[in-house]
Amino acid sequence: MRDLFPVLRGLAAAVAVVVGVVILGGCGGDEGDSSDQGTPTAPTAGGELRLLGRDPITLDPACASDVDSANYIVEIFGGLVTIDRELQIVPDIAGSWDVSDDGTVYTFQLRRGVLFHREDRQVTADDVKYSMERALDPDTQSTVAEVYLGDIVGVEEFVDGDADEVTGIEVVDNYTLRITIDAPKPYFLAKLTYPTAFVVDRRQVEGSTCFSGTNWQRHPNATGPFNLKEWDLGQRIVLEPNSRYQLGAPSLGRAVYTLGGGSAITMYENDEIDVTGVGLNDIEAVRDPAHSLNKEFQEAPRMDIWYIGFNVGEPPFDDVKVRQAFAHAIDKDKLIEVVLLDAVVEADGILPPGIPGFNENLQGLEFDPERAQQLLAESTYGGPEGLPDIEIASSGRGASVGPVSEAILFMWEENLGVEISVRQTEFATFLGDLHDGEFQMFELGWVADYPDPENFLKIQFYSGSTNNYSQYANAEVDDLLEQADTETDEARRLSLYQQSEQIIVNEAPWIPLFHDKFSVLIKPYVKDYLLPPFVIPRLRYVHIEE
Amino acid sequence: MQGILPFVVRRLMWAPFVLLAVSLATFALGRFGPGDPVEIVQGQYHKPEVVERIRHERGLDDPFFVQYGRYMWDVLHGDLGTSFTYQGSDVEDIIFDKMWITIQYNLVVLVIIFAIGIPVGIWAALRQGTWQDPLTIGVFLLFRSVPVLVIIPILQFILALKLGWLPSSGWVERDILGMKIGIFDKRIIMPILALFLPGIAAVARLMRAQTLEVLDEDFVRTARAKGLREVVVVSRHVARNALLPMTTIVGFALVGLLGGSLFVETLFGIPGIGQFTWQAVGNRDYDVIMAVTLITATAFIVANLVTDIAYGFVDPRVRLGGGGPRY
Repeated sequence: MRDLFPVLRGLAAAVAVVVGVVILGGCGGDEGDSSDQGTPTAPTAGGELRLLGRDPITLDPACASDVDSANYIVEIFGGLVTIDRELQIVPDIAGSWDVSDDGTVYTFQLRRGVLFHREDRQVTADDVKYSMERALDPDTQSTVAEVYLGDIVGVEEFVDGDADEVTGIEVVDNYTLRITIDAPKPYFLAKLTYPTAFVVDRRQVEGSTCFSGTNWQRHPNATGPFNLKEWDLGQRIVLEPNSRYQLGAPSLGRAVYTLGGGSAITMYENDEIDVTGVGLNDIEAVRDPAHSLNKEFQEAPRMDIWYIGFNVGEPPFDDVKVRQAFAHAIDKDKLIEVVLLDAVVEADGILPPGIPGFNENLQGLEFDPERAQQLLAESTYGGPEGLPDIEIASSGRGASVGPVSEAILFMWEENLGVEISVRQTEFATFLGDLHDGEFQMFELGWVADYPDPENFLKIQFYSGSTNNYSQYANAEVDDLLEQADTETDEARRLSLYQQSEQIIVNEAPWIPLFHDKFSVLIKPYVKDYLLPPFVIPRLRYVHIEE
Repeated sequence: MQGILPFVVRRLMWAPFVLLAVSLATFALGRFGPGDPVEIVQGQYHKPEVVERIRHERGLDDPFFVQYGRYMWDVLHGDLGTSFTYQGSDVEDIIFDKMWITIQYNLVVLVIIFAIGIPVGIWAALRQGTWQDPLTIGVFLLFRSVPVLVIIPILQFILALKLGWLPSSGWVERDILGMKIGIFDKRIIMPILALFLPGIAAVARLMRAQTLEVLDEDFVRTARAKGLREVVVVSRHVARNALLPMTTIVGFALVGLLGGSLFVETLFGIPGIGQFTWQAVGNRDYDVIMAVTLITATAFIVANLVTDIAYGFVDPRVRLGGGGPRY
């Protein structure tokens, strides 16, 4: 009798499995934007953009570490510099800047008359310094501030509590700010486009941390192109244009994000939202020119990489030949054509196309089963029989590992005669194990935070990086990456990255698999909805055609 | 109903122990299970010293019983903690709103299930032995047997995409007498359909069984023998008696509502507690998980008690607690 309403409560377990597949299985899902909350609203001058979104974890720029949060924050807040539609770093609150000859001192001239959303107060150099120091302050409990601002001189002392301020951030006068970094780092400006460097209103945020006193986030006072009009938890977010935005007022009347979820593509077809991601289930249909939605279908590259990582400290992947053998045994062409329906771009190297330094001539480890078998035979393990048990770790909540992994496991079995078992855990567990170096091999992706090779190569393969999950260490690569870090000549710098990338690919701590694409449907009346390869403020370009 | 007070007191005395066990077990599962909320917030960018620092500031590196004691102390003082998923939001600010959403639409579902299930059950019982009985129950069992995950896309396809009658999803609240009410919006029709169609079978079958049992009773024969019209026999004598046991399942049905339905909430975009709890587990949002568990456990304890008391009222043959004749 107590089993009366299984639909209302008992299904949880089964539900978990299937919804896991539904939610996590949709490729290109985070572009699954949508909206319409039905409450009738007066038509606004510039029209309304309706998107499907998710609740941000935080709207505090100092704390944001995830894409969902960053997507909102870059629209609402602003910093010294921003990224434009051509993906160039352009002035925002700073009107201009100079870099010293040695590349370590940046002097920013702030625009006069940059006002906060909710009051007629001008942003001054003090506000910028305060915002960055607040992000770095251990009391704020940001998990990412040091990653983005750690190049500034004096950060370490400040974080350790040995200094009251960051000496490398100097207020010269109300509209001049000087930042000194520890070495010439050409990607430093790119890091300033990330939320941690954005300006907050001191009066509003004082006393709050990433985990407490966060009520101000419901009505943040900031300087970005949009003003947060409403955030109803789990229900909707409404953004309204900031008419005095220094780079030009957005033309949209407002943007409404529905946060409750829903079936994105159904909502799109039913005219409830204006943009949706297209999953693998629907992609072939909408690609067909005869399909009614075909004209609304758009694809765009993303700056990411999906790969299989080896723990090079664990047998059998401590032998480079074993890693190479595994790489040569994967037929990526077939994988992408048959399993991924060409919704992704094959990856030979680590860097995705579009990133400075992308190397078209890079030599990947091609599909070659004979070479693979030969390498395995030459390895210290002598062949498939000599290998220990191997387990690949993947994150997910489904009962099956997903078609990509299945295909790869089959290829290894077919081409190398190696049977591999799978350890699947949900993401929280996976992440913990990954940090602890628990895996022999794992499947994972990495998305660019800013368009610079450093964001991939240094972070993932430098021996001292805490993100180097494959425990890869090569003195030559380390040396090249260190040189690149401080090389001011752009062409030489990129060439250093390319050299290091080629060595990494040859030694195969990773098997690069593919780079994602956005596969999206956009209503024909929505113009200039950009599909940038990483998070940038983009809503200011959108306009709705009547 | 002699002795009901001691019974209630005795049962209530057990409640804190039950809650203690439940909270301790849930707390331990979170703390000793794999995964860590701070690591999840940090994501792939891994700085172990930052994680350690924040864990320390959040008190997550304290001994288990210190953490547990601190948490329970706060709970007893009305503080359910803060959320990691919605950084810094107080748990009580979030979950009661979300539970309210879930309860609203599920209450409607519950009312419909009983309103349809009971007459259907009686009708089927009266038609026992004819083709109508198995057909009726069979049709509702069919709905029960098809997973919601299949029903929902079919409903969306027909009612939203093909006929264009309803929006495919969403949750819109209106302010009614100071309360946020979302069930007076057409968006809620499909979720309710998806939930009550499978739900009817259970009530109908139970009602049918109860009715059949009552139909065999002597008093029914007597009523018929008196020459009462069949309508009167069924409505006054059969239905009333068959309904009594049904009242006892209402309590559990109500508590079941608190859990919400993950599928329905996810696919229809309803920001209720089901979806939220699911996310909280994935994000190791300890305080949210604890709060949901404690509230649900409390509700079950209360429902259990109310049900047991109701049994006693409804059926005098049931005695509460020890003593007295047993049948």
